[in-house]
Amino acid sequence: MLDIRTVTIIGANGTMGRNIAAIFASFGNTTIYLVSRTLEKSIQAKGRAYQSVRAESVKDRMEPRDYSQLEECVEKSDLIFEACAEDWEIKQNIHQMISVALKNIPKKAALNKIVCSGTSGLSITNIAQLYSEEIRPHVIGMHFFNPPYQMTLCELTATNETDRDLFSEVFDYTKNVLHRTTVEVKDSPAFLGNRIGFQFINEAMQLAEKYKYNGGIDYIDAILGPFTGRAMAPLVTANFVGLDVHKAIVDNLYENTEDFSNQSFVFPEYAEKLVRKGHLGRKAGAGLYKTVLHDSGVKIHQVYDIENGYYRETMDYKFPFVEQMISFLQDGDYKDAVHVLENNFSAEAELCLQELLRYILYSLYAAETVGYHIHAADDVMAAGFNWCPPLALIEALGGKETVKALCRERIDTFWLSQDRQEQLLNKAEPSRYDFRRFIRAKR
Amino acid sequence: MEAVYILGGAQTDFERNWTKEGKNVIALLKEAVHDALEDVGFSLEDIKKLNRKNRIACCVGNFIGENYINQGHLGALLTEVDSAFYGVPSARYEAACASGSVALDAGITKIKSGDYDVVLVVCWELMKTVDSKTCGDILGRAAYYEKEAKDISFPFPKLFGKLADETIRKYNLNQERYLDNLARISVINYSNAKRNPLAQTRKWFMDYEQARHRGTETNPEIGGLLGVSDCSQVTDGAVVVVLANETILRQTGRKEAPVVKGYGHRTAPMLFEKKIADNESSVYVLPWTRQTVLDAYKRSSLTVKDIDVFETHDCFTSSEYAAISAFGITEPGKEFEAIEEGIIDFNGAKPINPSGGLIGCGHPVGASGARMFLDLYKQVSGTAGRYQVIKDGEIPKNAMMLNIGGTATTNYVYVVGR
Repeated sequence: MLDIRTVTIIGANGTMGRNIAAIFASFGNTTIYLVSRTLEKSIQAKGRAYQSVRAESVKDRMEPRDYSQLEECVEKSDLIFEACAEDWEIKQNIHQMISVALKNIPKKAALNKIVCSGTSGLSITNIAQLYSEEIRPHVIGMHFFNPPYQMTLCELTATNETDRDLFSEVFDYTKNVLHRTTVEVKDSPAFLGNRIGFQFINEAMQLAEKYKYNGGIDYIDAILGPFTGRAMAPLVTANFVGLDVHKAIVDNLYENTEDFSNQSFVFPEYAEKLVRKGHLGRKAGAGLYKTVLHDSGVKIHQVYDIENGYYRETMDYKFPFVEQMISFLQDGDYKDAVHVLENNFSAEAELCLQELLRYILYSLYAAETVGYHIHAADDVMAAGFNWCPPLALIEALGGKETVKALCRERIDTFWLSQDRQEQLLNKAEPSRYDFRRFIRAKR
Repeated sequence: MEAVYILGGAQTDFERNWTKEGKNVIALLKEAVHDALEDVGFSLEDIKKLNRKNRIACCVGNFIGENYINQGHLGALLTEVDSAFYGVPSARYEAACASGSVALDAGITKIKSGDYDVVLVVCWELMKTVDSKTCGDILGRAAYYEKEAKDISFPFPKLFGKLADETIRKYNLNQERYLDNLARISVINYSNAKRNPLAQTRKWFMDYEQARHRGTETNPEIGGLLGVSDCSQVTDGAVVVVLANETILRQTGRKEAPVVKGYGHRTAPMLFEKKIADNESSVYVLPWTRQTVLDAYKRSSLTVKDIDVFETHDCFTSSEYAAISAFGITEPGKEFEAIEEGIIDFNGAKPINPSGGLIGCGHPVGASGARMFLDLYKQVSGTAGRYQVIKDGEIPKNAMMLNIGGTATTNYVYVVGR
């Protein structure tokens, strides 16, 4: 097993940087140099990082530093992890600094180090280009999900120049030492988890606009809620993630990928408007949703009304198909719940099933395009999003043949031809995940 | 008397929070029963067929569903799982945290006597329906509530903290060394749980430094000398074990299956203070626990030398510490040797809790006895997957478990082997 004793985390003051530091310090039992722009920020990061893994024991393993000490940190580290803002200019600058630091230390030592970027969407190949030819084989993409202690996914990306032996050692290290659900993915925009997840979430955001007269945002969330195999409804998730982060991911995917579902990545106009106003979501106090504290102390949940452009109270939608499904799910009658979904022809039930089928098909396509095996999509969606993974969802819906028949009936062939649908579904294998735990008896 | 075979069974994923999933006890039971029947290759039709001849019974283990989910009459509740259970004799068995074992005892007896061919032992607890303080109070009913738990917040950690005090006093131990060994017990259980795909804490972090520093923000003291790292978990879960006689074993086409080789069952004084007063004449801190182990060795004609793997009731690290000598792994008072020398480690000579135990795997109180029993079955049948114990290239031949109720008031020991 790879012997990693010291890790430098650059951008340690950010949420991801700090929490990734805690993962290395805890499971990896490593010494960590927390590097931020100022020492003060690094000290603050140290004061909070241990909370994410609920263990003060990792505190003593963290040493706050600033950029002036970067070279010394790099020299002493086995692994250097960049966790800076998701902006090419910033990342370029940081990696150039690491590259310079590596040039300034003895060559033999420099060649024994691993350089990782935690980017969620930028090209690892482009990052590797910022290093000398000798260092490039040691550059690896290592994408954690938020919050990393709870979401165990780790997407690892190699470039054409990455040393394959080193890569597999790093793979084993993240899996067996850091206890991550490690998945190798190709160097493709947003990698695998976010490509699948944001295809679904952004499509939900678009549907909210399409159905704005039915209620829009909370209407769509009521159709695609926890009873469809997720902890949080999709637009609640977007609000939680932040519309700025969401927009960066889907813009990247829209511009830099090309596939049959490219239009799913168009960020809707109303959401652009919210971003311009600074209504970025939960962290900004308002976004797709907003919680207002009434004078009486009661929390009032509001939602952005797309048609009227203001916040109104969320509505308590009660669709018969959802009520029936939840009633079956409470008693553990999954087959009966699915039977309701497949045999209720209300607009809402049809939309729900259609989106689940599109999620399955797009996941299978993405696993083939960005992953290396069919189970990759399951791993990323279970461990990165806590959603019912696609192969498990096929089983929940009645198996491969049932899903094929449903797709023939319900899926627009302009989106994906029937041949291609069949081709993708034919590759489905039994899931390694149990669908039951993901499908909740909740609205 | 008929031999009692274990055909298999199922455990739900102890990481799951059924309240958060919005699911009720029927959903829990349906999953566990479905998975157990699938594991042993039985259909609901098989249940009906056996029941027509009155050859199948169910024993339900649960501590206190009345408080956690406002439901009693828990044996009859199985009829809600499927109509195949209409008419099947079924009743609930209770002995606090040893409820699983008392349900197993009833099931084993029904097979032994020849009255039934198959018994489904269905054990469960849903604990995440209430907040942690209420949960602690409900668990107080496993002690003498009026005298030991009423108006006391988290009574059980305090009682097992007293067990720690008593152990130090009785054997004149160095307190720091003893507490460091309790920390090691905690770490072994957490790290074993990492290999168990159904363990509640399989994604959690715990290390020796964290476990030995008690009284910190992330490891507060909760009962006397004990910290949160010394405690088992609050868990939702169910376990089903399928017991059968030889006729059924033959019908399934199997030549052999693990058998119940022996058991012990003793009841110690209910009040912790009386328990301690009672141990004065013994070299053991929990003499009735030791006696239960001896009874099981006698009934199985085995000794500690023959046991390859153990599962114990580590509701707190102090109870696992006491179990070490009760099993006979060390002399009483010398438990630290087994911990410090790695004897009870996963790869040690006498591994304890390869599953992760109550601390690592989780502790749905009414199900824990059956969970341990199912884990013994998995170990001796070589079906424990990543947490399979292997010795000299072979799977264990004999396995022993200790399940206690209250403050080691009800004591149950089983030996399962090939």
